[in-house]
Amino acid sequence: MLIENMQMAFHAIRANKMRSFLTMLGIIIGIGSVIAIVSIGDTMRSLFADLYANVGLTQTYVSIGYWVDDVRESDYFTMEELERIKNVFGDKITYIDSSAYLNADARAGEQSMPFEFNGVDYNYQDVQPVKILYGRYLNEGDTLGRRASAVVEAESARRLFGTENAVGRTFRADVYGTMTEFTVVGVYEVEMNAFQKLMMGSGDDTGSAFIPWTLLTWPNDRFYQCHLFADESMTTAELDRFYDDLTFYVAKLKNRNPEDLYVYTATQEMNQMDSIMGGLSMAVGGIAAISLLVGGIGIMNIMLVSVTERTREIGIRKALGATTRDVMIQFLTESAILSACGGAIGILLGAGVVFLGGTALGLEVVVKPSVVIMAVSFSAMVGIFFGMYPASKAAKADPIDALRYE
Amino acid sequence: MRKLGDLKNLFRRPSLPPSGGTEELIRLENLVKIYDTGALKVMGLKKINLTIRRGEFVAIMGQSGSGKSTLMNILGCLDRPTLGHYYLDGEDTAEMTPGQLSAVRNQKIGFVFQSFNLIARTSALKNVELPMTYARKPKKERRERAMELLTRVGLEARYSHMPNELSGGQRQRVAIARALANEPPLILADEPTGNLDTAASEEIMELFASLHDEGTTVVVVTHEEDIAAFTGRIIRFRDGQIISDEVNPHPRRLKKEAAVC
Repeated sequence: MLIENMQMAFHAIRANKMRSFLTMLGIIIGIGSVIAIVSIGDTMRSLFADLYANVGLTQTYVSIGYWVDDVRESDYFTMEELERIKNVFGDKITYIDSSAYLNADARAGEQSMPFEFNGVDYNYQDVQPVKILYGRYLNEGDTLGRRASAVVEAESARRLFGTENAVGRTFRADVYGTMTEFTVVGVYEVEMNAFQKLMMGSGDDTGSAFIPWTLLTWPNDRFYQCHLFADESMTTAELDRFYDDLTFYVAKLKNRNPEDLYVYTATQEMNQMDSIMGGLSMAVGGIAAISLLVGGIGIMNIMLVSVTERTREIGIRKALGATTRDVMIQFLTESAILSACGGAIGILLGAGVVFLGGTALGLEVVVKPSVVIMAVSFSAMVGIFFGMYPASKAAKADPIDALRYE
Repeated sequence: MRKLGDLKNLFRRPSLPPSGGTEELIRLENLVKIYDTGALKVMGLKKINLTIRRGEFVAIMGQSGSGKSTLMNILGCLDRPTLGHYYLDGEDTAEMTPGQLSAVRNQKIGFVFQSFNLIARTSALKNVELPMTYARKPKKERRERAMELLTRVGLEARYSHMPNELSGGQRQRVAIARALANEPPLILADEPTGNLDTAASEEIMELFASLHDEGTTVVVVTHEEDIAAFTGRIIRFRDGQIISDEVNPHPRRLKKEAAVC
């Protein structure tokens, strides 16, 4: 009987192709936009997750809390303290520095452009690898000897020196009031997708380069922050434990309460971002779902018209022995199929738009099967819900009146 | 307003005619139908008593408003009497629920309507299958039986045609095939020739006559004398009452050469 009902429903839908399509359009647009929005949200979340994975999820900043009023000189970190923290935690800390950076103009002959200099240790390449095109990365000699060596980003090098292979070239920059002459020891390149460029690119006109972090401590050797990477092979529990220990140790070192310290991890930030993105896409998706309601009302409307038009058919069916339930199920099936077809087309449309956009931007998009399943079942439910009234109207029709209906 | 209890004194009891069959299929006992139109109550049927036996070929005649359509609706279990009893095949339909009435319509009655009432945009075969679909018969059985019936009414070649591709007479023959689908004991035809020309009308009546010859009970409602002439018993209605109930000793038949093709 179910198969017969479905056949009858398809028959009725085909009999009025244009009308059926227009009715479905409401559901198509509703489901399509919900799928598109939720998928865009999921794609963004996965892109952010990738981004943070790239940045290093165990990347951590420790500093005196911004809420602490009586900041003392001893709250700042010295190089020796950083060394001590590194030694205490051993392998659990894969990298540590002061997170010092400098914005200054770099001058090479007539050419001058703004630069962001990142003060890093020689082993920063281990935790944040970049592709070295020419020359070499910073080495231990550079950092320990506080040599004015620089590893310049390829595009910046091309613009400052007119060539990407700038190894051996020099430029000058003002480091805390001292004009310093840097020698380019290497040129690197960062491969980023469109989204990463959008999120991380520091603007087209600012160049970037790595210089030894020891240069950016001179002359007082004190820093506001301790910047470290924890061992990524640790489990979440081990990481939590590590952060607790770290906070406790630094607090003791600084003669502070652990609550006075601000420990900020990339994981934390990612989770925050993720929940914001998740909430946002849910909210916008919810608004889009309202259009489904409108689509549902469209279905109800057209089913009411259809029931009226087919009053006579209903009468005939009843005279031939169709029960109230048979007629009810026939019309419910029809509206559910109408709506589910709209939902299916809407999914194709929504997912298609997302895939097309993703391809255009060179991004890997995420369309979750769970969202698709939810959308189809929701649209069928919309069909059943909004088909209920017209179907019961049809089912209740008096066969005598229905047969007499012209 | 008149009390219903007074009604029994108003009408005479019609004498039951001699019948063609042996076993009774339909028995109406003191059947009353009152239409409540709000302001006033209209009596559609005034205490009808009637028995139709299995295998009879009966015509119900009367002017419009005579009550014959009301009787038709009740006989077809599309409507229920206000008072009295209607026994169909031994069961009192007055006591039945809407679901049971649906089952009775499906199993015991085959309808043939004036305006054919085939389902539009649905093939002749599917139309014939429909009562069997509601009887939850398996698809293969439905298909075979429907083909058989279409062959019986001479339309096997047109099984895939839509109703609008068939002539009036052909449509009515599809409707008759459909009425026979679940082998109901009773065929109820409401002005079956009302929309047909004389030749087609006669063919249809000939078809009913041959069904009658095979033992099916056929009740035809009509207002045309030459249509009623095909039947073996003519019951006349006026003002909601039976005014005559006569045996037609020489039912009309077409000459052999003009018979159904």
